[in-house]
Amino acid sequence: MQQIIELTVNGETYSIETEPRRTLLEVLRENLGLTGAKEGCGKGDCGHCTILIDGNPVYSCLTLAVEMEGKDIVTIEGLAEGEKLHPIQQAFVDYGAIQCGFCTPGMILSAKGLLDKNPNPTEAEIKEAISGNLCRCTGYVKIIESIKEALIKIGG
Amino acid sequence: MKYWRRLPEFEYLAPNTIEGVCSLLEEKNGNAKIIAGGTVLLARWKESLGVSQYLIGLKKVSNLSYVNFDEEKGLSIGAMATHGVISNSPIVKEKFNLLARACGGLGTPQIRSMGTIGGNLCSRFPTAEVIPPLIALAAKVKIVNNNEARIMPVEVLSKESLKAQLLTEIQVPSLPSESGGAYLKYTIREATDYPTVNVAVLLTLDNKKCKDIKIVIGAVGPFPFRAKKAEGVLQGNPIDEKIIGAVAQAVWEESYPSSDIYFSAEYKKELIKVLTRRAIKQAWEKAQKAYA
Repeated sequence: MQQIIELTVNGETYSIETEPRRTLLEVLRENLGLTGAKEGCGKGDCGHCTILIDGNPVYSCLTLAVEMEGKDIVTIEGLAEGEKLHPIQQAFVDYGAIQCGFCTPGMILSAKGLLDKNPNPTEAEIKEAISGNLCRCTGYVKIIESIKEALIKIGG
Repeated sequence: MKYWRRLPEFEYLAPNTIEGVCSLLEEKNGNAKIIAGGTVLLARWKESLGVSQYLIGLKKVSNLSYVNFDEEKGLSIGAMATHGVISNSPIVKEKFNLLARACGGLGTPQIRSMGTIGGNLCSRFPTAEVIPPLIALAAKVKIVNNNEARIMPVEVLSKESLKAQLLTEIQVPSLPSESGGAYLKYTIREATDYPTVNVAVLLTLDNKKCKDIKIVIGAVGPFPFRAKKAEGVLQGNPIDEKIIGAVAQAVWEESYPSSDIYFSAEYKKELIKVLTRRAIKQAWEKAQKAYA
C-alpha cells in the first residue's frame, strides 16, 4: 500500500511515495536517483550500501525507508561542495584507493562517520571503522593510507 | 507475490506506546511480527523466511532505548538500545565491561549502529553475543503482553515463546565489589562473522578466594549454557594458574559442540578450553583491582 513519506537527504527534504516493503537503498537509488549507494549483497555482509544516518554508518539495504522520517541521511553525493571534493574523497583519488569504485562510496562514508566522531584515530580504529566494508580490488592498504592522509588534512 | 532479492509485501504499523504494540499483537493474533533494528528480520524476509502479514515497528515507541544506572537497582537497558550506544556507555564500560565488550565487538560498525540488544536476545541465534554476558551477570528481562508484565531471568528465553509478547527491558543487578568479568570469542574473520565459540565469565572474590564464579559458553548449543561442573571446581577455592587450568579442562569435559564445515567438534572443544582459561584470568585480574 503506497504512502507518502518525507526524507531528509543531504540537507534537502523530499516527499516520496513508496510502499513499506521498500528499503532505504531502493528509495535512494530509484526514487531520488542517488546511485552512489550500491547493492552488493542485499543482506548486510558487504557494506556497499553504507550511508550515514544521524552520523552513524548504516546498511541501507536492511533499513525500511518508511522508518527513516525525521532522520538526517547523508549519502556520498552529499560530501562534495560543487566541484570541490571532500578531503576524504580527494585523498582516495590522490592515493589510488579506488579501482573499480564499487566499495568506494560506502568506504568513504564509514571513514567520515569515524572522523566526525574521532578526529585522531589510531590505525586500529581506522581498520575497525571500515571493517563492515568489503573491497575485492585494492587489498585495503591504499584505502587506509588515504584515510590517514584525510585525517591530517581535516586537522587531526 | 515473490520478488527476487526484495522484501515481500506487508502492512507496516508503527505504534507510539508499548501498550499499543501489545494491543496490536493480540489483535493480529499471530499474524504480526516485530521489527527492532531490522538487521536480522529484513535479511530473513528477503529470503521469504518467517514473513507475516503485519510488521510492527518499534522505532516510534517512546522511551525504549535508554541505558540507566542506579547504585541500588543496577543497570536497566531499554530493549531498543543499540549495541553501539551500549558499548560506548561510560557506565557499562566501567561497571559491566563484559557486556560492553560483547556489544562493541559483534558484527560490524553498521550492524552496531542498527542492531538492538532486544533484537539480539530474541533473534534465536545460538551465537547471540549479548546472551552469555547477560547470563553471567544474572540479568533479568521484562516481557510484556496485553495482560501482564513479567520479569524473569534471561535464561527463560531458551524456552519462552515470544509470539505476541514484547521484550521491553533488560535489568542487570549491581555487582558486588571485588568482581571482574570477561567476554572472549573466536571468529574466523575479525568482523562480521558469527562467533564459532564465545565465553563469558564473572568472578567474585572474597579474601583472595573465589566466592562466586559463572562460566557461560555460547554458540555451540541451541542456547548458551552455564558450565556448572566447572564452576564447582573453582567455587570457594583460592585461585592460581593450576586451578584455572583444571576449570578449563572441566569445561572441555562438559562441552558437546558439533562439527560444522569449518571446524571439528574436537577443535571447538579446544577453543572453549583456551578461551575459558583466558577469560577466567582476565576476570581474576579485574576482580583483584580494588573496586571503587
